Amino acid sequence: MNTIIEMQGIVKVFPPNVVALNDVSVDFREGEIHAIVGENGAGKSTLMKILYGMQPANSGRIRYRGQDAIFHDPGEAIANGIGMVHQEIILIPEYTVWQNVVLGVEPVGLFGRIDEKEARRRVQARIQEFNFNLAVDAEVGDISVAARQKVEILKLLYRDVSVLIMDEPTAVLTPQEIPQLFNELRRLRDNGHTILFISHRLDEVMELSDRITVLRRGRKIGTVDTADTSKEQLAQMMVGREVIFSPLRQEQQIGDVVADIQGITYIDAMKRERLKDISIRVRASEIVGVAGVEGNGQFELVNVLMGLLKPTSGEFFVCGERLTHASILDRRKKIAFVSQDRASMGACLSASIMENVLMTHHRLNKRFSKFGGLVLDYAQANRFTEEVRQKLDVQMDSRQAVFRSLSGGNQQKVILGRELSLGAPFILLDQPTRGLDVGSIEYVHQQILRMRAESYALLMLSSDLDELFRISDRIVVLHRGRIVADLITAETSITEVGYFMLEGKPNATKID
Amino acid sequence: MKIAIGLINGMITAATPILLAALGGTLTFYAGIFNIAMEGMMLAGAFFAVIGSYFFNSWLMGILFAVLASLVMAVIFILFSVVLKTDEFVTGIGLNLFALGATTYFLRQIFKVKGAFSGPGIVSVPNIEIPLIKDIPLVGEILSGHNLIVYLTLIITIWVAYLVFKTRFGLRLRAAGYNPTCLDTSGVPADRVRIWSLIICGALCGLAGAYLSLGYVTLFSENMSAGRGWISLAAVILVNGNPWGIALISLLFGFSDGLGLFLQRVLPSQFTSMVPYVATLIALFVYSIRRKETVLS
Repeated sequence: MNTIIEMQGIVKVFPPNVVALNDVSVDFREGEIHAIVGENGAGKSTLMKILYGMQPANSGRIRYRGQDAIFHDPGEAIANGIGMVHQEIILIPEYTVWQNVVLGVEPVGLFGRIDEKEARRRVQARIQEFNFNLAVDAEVGDISVAARQKVEILKLLYRDVSVLIMDEPTAVLTPQEIPQLFNELRRLRDNGHTILFISHRLDEVMELSDRITVLRRGRKIGTVDTADTSKEQLAQMMVGREVIFSPLRQEQQIGDVVADIQGITYIDAMKRERLKDISIRVRASEIVGVAGVEGNGQFELVNVLMGLLKPTSGEFFVCGERLTHASILDRRKKIAFVSQDRASMGACLSASIMENVLMTHHRLNKRFSKFGGLVLDYAQANRFTEEVRQKLDVQMDSRQAVFRSLSGGNQQKVILGRELSLGAPFILLDQPTRGLDVGSIEYVHQQILRMRAESYALLMLSSDLDELFRISDRIVVLHRGRIVADLITAETSITEVGYFMLEGKPNATKID
Repeated sequence: MKIAIGLINGMITAATPILLAALGGTLTFYAGIFNIAMEGMMLAGAFFAVIGSYFFNSWLMGILFAVLASLVMAVIFILFSVVLKTDEFVTGIGLNLFALGATTYFLRQIFKVKGAFSGPGIVSVPNIEIPLIKDIPLVGEILSGHNLIVYLTLIITIWVAYLVFKTRFGLRLRAAGYNPTCLDTSGVPADRVRIWSLIICGALCGLAGAYLSLGYVTLFSENMSAGRGWISLAAVILVNGNPWGIALISLLFGFSDGLGLFLQRVLPSQFTSMVPYVATLIALFVYSIRRKETVLS
């Protein structure tokens, strides 16, 4: 088989210092299904976006059909025969299937009138050619997600694309819809199309692909023939044989149940079940870690607990008080919360450091106000900010400096200082170390363990397995909105948790 | 009977400028632009229609000047809100105030009058008698004898409906409003479609302005658009942009305008002239509720 695309020495750095791709070279052959696998943040999507012209590479070369080719925007890539179907579907729900497909390349008659008959005929011909089960006149808003994905593929095929990049196409599909997609992709391959398939689900990759490239933390680990490899080998390549840091945890007597999440189910506006019967109990002096591949219900779980989403059913108690439908302020009396998004949820970037330290406290703690809550007591506020600064060793110029001027690590320290001094018995941490450097991570972990020692109950969501293994007492695994495992950290392994994350079930081969 | 015919003709006359501006507004509405500058475009059109007509002694030059002036306004809007991505609402307000100030200033500078300028030198757009039809009793009185721009408006309504729903431009126009990312990734820059929608809107508002100062009456007075651009915006929003719906709403507003005049016999004119504006408020209320629903879903 001929090589159709060669990517050589691709480097991509996201400022200031995140290396998304570090000297990645990979080649794709004409007429193959080539899977690109790796954990979140491994660089799979970035690599494909560079090929598709959505993001420029910092250095490296792309050769396409034997010639140097750098596409500056997706339109150029499509014109040259490379198309990409994104994870989120970009169509116009108000339009019919044929209108969506022809948009931008419409056949026209007199006076700019769209030749509807011709457009329908051409789209219908493509549907039949590729044996897609689609009705040309159906409105896209009325058809299933799987069908919409087909419309996206059809839209590219209508533009005579020969290389099809699919970014985690199965993420939005139900298990029943996946085999049909795979059959269609195989048929396309047999037709001579090249398919680049991003995934982190090993079963799918083993079933569908001809060759597999594994990325880990921006580096290419290797390209293997599917026939010569196994799921175990791939898992090892993906996760790597990283040294697990010795646990920092001290043995400690675990106390009474503090947070009690009982059977939370959440169905979104699109009628998709995002959380199914989630029950987690967190006791005093216990850190419960929540593991899972991103997009498996973590976002919804955090928002349900914090009152930003209404659960469809289930209950939530902290210290025996029912918070299922409580106001956010009432929740904040019982829950300290470190959100994963510092910029928009955890802090106000354009407010001063002191104002950020004071947030929530100013409502819950009377000592910060004078005259019956009418006026803030700035003397108290400044004293409190100073306390937080010393306790967490925050590096800052002045209390009045704008929050944005702090480094990521110091921002997180300020937020932790604010939240941990609330005195709330339950502490919810959502990716508390995301985007921090190693030193800050260490520091945050120490603070979290200090709270555990002081008999607080902590629930920590993290996509970093090392982190979970380092500090949590128990690990529950979320997979497609369900808890598929509840494991004691000391009695499990990264490999076992990894399997639960990827497959939603234990490693079958191990049981055999 | 005379009163009824008078009311109907009054309705058509008052509806025409609103309908023209609203047809322009509906194109920008479909393109996903919150365009409130119709008022200013119309006012600029009305003033420059008088300039063109007065200095060239030609109503055709009047219409040409009106359209050009309104297009200049549209180009400013494009520069700010499409190219420089400023807030559409603020840009629109700015343009409307600019049009009001500039036309008043030029009126005083060029014609040395305050309030209004009229004179025999302004050539108005002619009325058209339709042969045969004008001789039919009743029907003739309603259908024939209107201003040329009234008949043009009828044709433009049909054209806009065709443009939006049947043509390639229409498909892309609506796509720009529904999901600009989708249009962009389909190889058509959404901003380009938006620019075209604003240009056509400008031309139509210019025509509406020309009708005000060369058709409805033959003079220019300060702030002579008097909120019609806002009413046209309300009409667009009320029927979600459908051109036929806009025609109907415009006629209703025209009717309430005529009714206001008619009611002056029993009510103080301050109250009767509120009628179209109260209708606009109600329309905007309906819009805000609908918007809330779409945001939540």
